[in-house]
Amino acid sequence: MSVLETPRIYFCGQTTFDPVTTNNYPRNYDEMGAQTVMTPDGAVQPFRDAAIADVTSNGNWNPHGTYRSRFFNTKILGVDVGNGTSTTDAFVGAPVNFLGMLVDLEPYGSMSSQLFFDEMSFGIDGGCQVAANCSMRMIARQINFARNPTYSCIAGVASVVWQTSFPKGASLPLYARGSQAIAALSHALDDDEVLGLTVRWNAYRTVYYDDINCRNGNPVMKQESGALQQKLLGGGFQPNPARSRVVGVLGLWRKADAPQVIGDRGLIQRAAQRIATASARLASNALVVDLGNSIPETGPDLAKKDLGTLGVFAGDTQIAALQPGDYDRAAYEQSAGIVTLPLSPASQQLAQTGDLSIRDAKGIVLLQESALHVCEITPNVYLNQGDPATLQVQVLSRGVPASAGVAVHWVNTSTSSPTSETTLTDSNGIAALSVTGASSNLVGQIDCYIASTTTPPPSEVSTQQTAYLWVRTLPADDNVGGLPPTWENVYQNVLYNWHAMAPCMDNWLRLDDPQQVAAYAAVIRQLTDPANFEKQRFMPVTRDLTAGQRTLLYAWLDSLKAGSQVPEAVLQATAPPTPAEMSRAFRAGG
Amino acid sequence: MIRLAKKSLTSMQDAHSALQTAIQIEFGTLPPYLYALYSILPDTNAATTRRIKAIVMQEMIHFCLDCNILNALGGSPTIANPSVVPHYPGPLPGDLGGLTIHLYPFSMPAVQQGMNIETPEDGPIDFPQDKLLATPQYQTIGQFYAELDRYLATLPASAWQANRHQISDAQYLVGNLFAVNSYADAHRAIVEIVSEGEGGPKSPLDFQGELAHFYRFEEIQRNQLLTKADNPKGYAWGAPLGVDWASAYPAINDPSTHDFSQDPPAAIAAQKACNMAYSQMLCELQRAMSGEPDRLGNAVRAMFDLRMTALHALNTPLADGKSVAGPAFLFIPN
Repeated sequence: MSVLETPRIYFCGQTTFDPVTTNNYPRNYDEMGAQTVMTPDGAVQPFRDAAIADVTSNGNWNPHGTYRSRFFNTKILGVDVGNGTSTTDAFVGAPVNFLGMLVDLEPYGSMSSQLFFDEMSFGIDGGCQVAANCSMRMIARQINFARNPTYSCIAGVASVVWQTSFPKGASLPLYARGSQAIAALSHALDDDEVLGLTVRWNAYRTVYYDDINCRNGNPVMKQESGALQQKLLGGGFQPNPARSRVVGVLGLWRKADAPQVIGDRGLIQRAAQRIATASARLASNALVVDLGNSIPETGPDLAKKDLGTLGVFAGDTQIAALQPGDYDRAAYEQSAGIVTLPLSPASQQLAQTGDLSIRDAKGIVLLQESALHVCEITPNVYLNQGDPATLQVQVLSRGVPASAGVAVHWVNTSTSSPTSETTLTDSNGIAALSVTGASSNLVGQIDCYIASTTTPPPSEVSTQQTAYLWVRTLPADDNVGGLPPTWENVYQNVLYNWHAMAPCMDNWLRLDDPQQVAAYAAVIRQLTDPANFEKQRFMPVTRDLTAGQRTLLYAWLDSLKAGSQVPEAVLQATAPPTPAEMSRAFRAGG
Repeated sequence: MIRLAKKSLTSMQDAHSALQTAIQIEFGTLPPYLYALYSILPDTNAATTRRIKAIVMQEMIHFCLDCNILNALGGSPTIANPSVVPHYPGPLPGDLGGLTIHLYPFSMPAVQQGMNIETPEDGPIDFPQDKLLATPQYQTIGQFYAELDRYLATLPASAWQANRHQISDAQYLVGNLFAVNSYADAHRAIVEIVSEGEGGPKSPLDFQGELAHFYRFEEIQRNQLLTKADNPKGYAWGAPLGVDWASAYPAINDPSTHDFSQDPPAAIAAQKACNMAYSQMLCELQRAMSGEPDRLGNAVRAMFDLRMTALHALNTPLADGKSVAGPAFLFIPN
């Protein structure tokens, strides 16, 4: 099942990552309280100045980020309709376009990244095209912190798997227009067992400051960060997007596939071994292995490490071999790290019932399957204080749903001493845990649950070895919601948060200007509406507007007088713009 | 179609002059395209907006690439100077073809004008070649760039000053903008500029597999998607694009020709704000392309200001109470 069966489409290219990084640090942001940590006098400018100072002194590499992530120079490189990779399909060469907003559910950490987006287009309007409209955000999992070990530049050593799925139907039009591969996908979607399409892509070799020679603490990094700081001090809009290489695959989303994380049979990284977790699927006469996140590079030049011939085993019997040519750079970029290994009938039989493993020439086990594979169905959950939610995982047994009654242990790793609960899978192999948003009215909570079938369950998250689910509970902020709806209260308790943290907002709306905010009342309401939470343009991008803050903001917007839109008291209190500010002040248009 | 004076380049001075013209042409397309884009009512004409916005972004890239080439050859782009800032209505720089460029709100004339500007060198694929192209006095933009490329190829390596005043894609337009340090870079820039504007001689697609400018405008004009088809030309006019001509602000044409003195103060102030933002943008671009690349961030901020002031102007009624005016794109030097 999944993208490991045919038909599937391969693409390759690059993407930007342009997050605001200021909230990565506790001194700037209280992730429990969902609040920017302001200076004692609550002034925004000193906060912004400090963020700029941190560029050279504390590694804050992008205070003017936009959160945007955009594919560039990305195109379809090949297709596989069941006969191996082809580069002659009419779809090959078509651009792949994607624009999303990168948000970490847990701002301090690196394991909860998401991309909120509206659409992803494979091909262009009028051409061979799969126009995939968003149904659920993309989720990052299986971070491989040893992907490029010698390329130590911020997160340059790491790679990560991104995935989401698109339900079939009107929001997923496919236009073959001469492409056999798209026609095959369309045909496959007729199967009731196929829910839609899944896209999975790997981001790796991330370059910062647009300089591949940057390394943590080296003179180039110091020079580049100093140059950025000077730009920031010079005013204007000064983003500093990182850029990553991308390989990806578009394929089928079947029932029992978790839509946002890798399913199939898990080939789990053995601790301290040299390659990272992979997945595999048994086809009718072959084993398909996804090494998209697994084989390390030897440096920023992207050459793959030569691990020699690797044996693929079922139990203790070798059933296939991976040659260096199967996983070198050329093969990797051509087919997104997916390798199809023909199997004899006997090997096929062994693979159906035996634990798979991948071993090096000395017999050392690098990757090992355990029969049960836990996949997050609800990987990243946001709650308001007191709201209930149900966390779910899909348990697979050698790639198919586990039977009912399998014990899943849920370990909350975010408490001082991890707590554990156990629930059982249902007849679809799904286990669930009911949770409730933290009850304290003072702070929010960010919980990270491990879901595991092993006994005892692990007490710490391993991005390579454990399934984990995030729950962010925003504080209710009832006290804020109950404040009089004055501009001062709205700014000091709601808007300053993002005015300070996200200078990029100045491009669109000055959050400290009541006239501008009032002029965009309707748009603000639309963009902050919880119903639009999954939309690319949802505000705040960071999804940390509390219920109390929203109540106060909306009460103020509701108080605006019809006609002038701005309360008279605010108009009187607002000084007219200076000539130099005039063009900015005139953003108060509708 | 833009027809430029046919001229063989024989000296570096000629090349500098041609590149300055190219800079002005690429820049000169932006105000008419932006005027049409800004005037589309919010949340309407999604497909049209995407197309025009993409064209605008590519024209900005072309402008930057031309500046990079000129700087690499030791020249100095002139941007924030009344002598080179385009005026509307008026011709594009160097155009001898009699094409007068107007600032039209989103409308059929605006889109037809875009097609006229972007007409491919060999004519649109579905139409016979314009015979005027063969006359020796004129050359199209594509031919103009071809002549420029031919001359640049003759320059010695020493003519290229590496890293001189270059703008890269480090912050903006990632993947589309690059420094020009050699003829190879300049050639690539020219190929991409022509390709994005005109497509190929037998294909409407540019070098990245995206639709070239002319055909994007033609899609809007026809309100039909240019669709891949199994016929000798490979494409056919297909499904409706969803163009809604009525969903535009009631903006006047060519606001620079309008006498605002009789309009409400708010409208006058809105125009002033637009011109200030536009002028600020030009001044920052001038600095950015003249050895202060850090100022590009200030120019981009001014572009956002221009957009917002334009939207405000488009929501500010004129004296008749019915119409509005977008930005006149007037450069007001400090």
